[in-house]
Amino acid sequence: MMLEDELTVGTRDREGVAIIDLGGDVTTFAEEKINSAYREVTNKGARFVLLNFRQNDYINSAGIAILIGIVTEVNRNHQKLAVSGLSQHFQKIFRMVGLAQYAEIYQSEDEAITGFKRLNAA
Amino acid sequence: MGKSDNLSPEPVEKIIELRLPSKLGYERVAMDTAASLARRMGFHDDRVESLKTAVSEAVTNAIEHGNQQDAAVKVVVLLTARDDELIISVADQGRKILDQGCTTRSPQITDVLEKFDKGGWGIWLIRELMDEVEFTTAPSGGNQVRMVIHLEQ
Repeated sequence: MMLEDELTVGTRDREGVAIIDLGGDVTTFAEEKINSAYREVTNKGARFVLLNFRQNDYINSAGIAILIGIVTEVNRNHQKLAVSGLSQHFQKIFRMVGLAQYAEIYQSEDEAITGFKRLNAA
Repeated sequence: MGKSDNLSPEPVEKIIELRLPSKLGYERVAMDTAASLARRMGFHDDRVESLKTAVSEAVTNAIEHGNQQDAAVKVVVLLTARDDELIISVADQGRKILDQGCTTRSPQITDVLEKFDKGGWGIWLIRELMDEVEFTTAPSGGNQVRMVIHLEQ
């Protein structure tokens, strides 16, 4: 029975935005994978970072703590952070917790890329 | 057999009991069971999602803290379906007793960003997402959280 870590993390670049794809569960088991993906894109000089979720993800409070850790690093490294692909429920949770103050929430990856371009042009 | 009296004041109760090993991951069994029951009762999708998060946080706390992740001891989850509400109680063995201060604290992200420990959101989320929440001591002597979500017609 598969009860533990089922998170796949990938990184890619799209039009100057470092995208971290998160497919699966963001719980305590996800910490190392997410942090190492973030370090990887940061070491490559990323200025714009997008955490791209899938609608059906399970994110718990341990996962939220990991994401707050990313916000701390993003602020320290003077990057811009956004999230996309969150379900309505987790968009609500992100707003409740206050993560939305530090990471713009977009419905889709395409919208996020457009948003980052606008930011870059400003 | 129950009476078929429509004026009967007693709600028909349906109780499901889960006894889960104290191993992270099993909170999802409680979460899925609660979600399945809530959908059958007619809760809207957004309320089911709130319930899933609250149940998963309560059971995760019981596994991690109350039972110290000893898979041999159980987390007991009771789901009571009433006509107009769903009651969920989660009890552990109390190897670590919940600090009552945690049950009323509202973390602020601006403070949390400065701290090494970025956690502490679980109980707050439960309180925010459920209609009624009560922290008590279980018959076993452990921690117990009782959560209620009302069915809006």
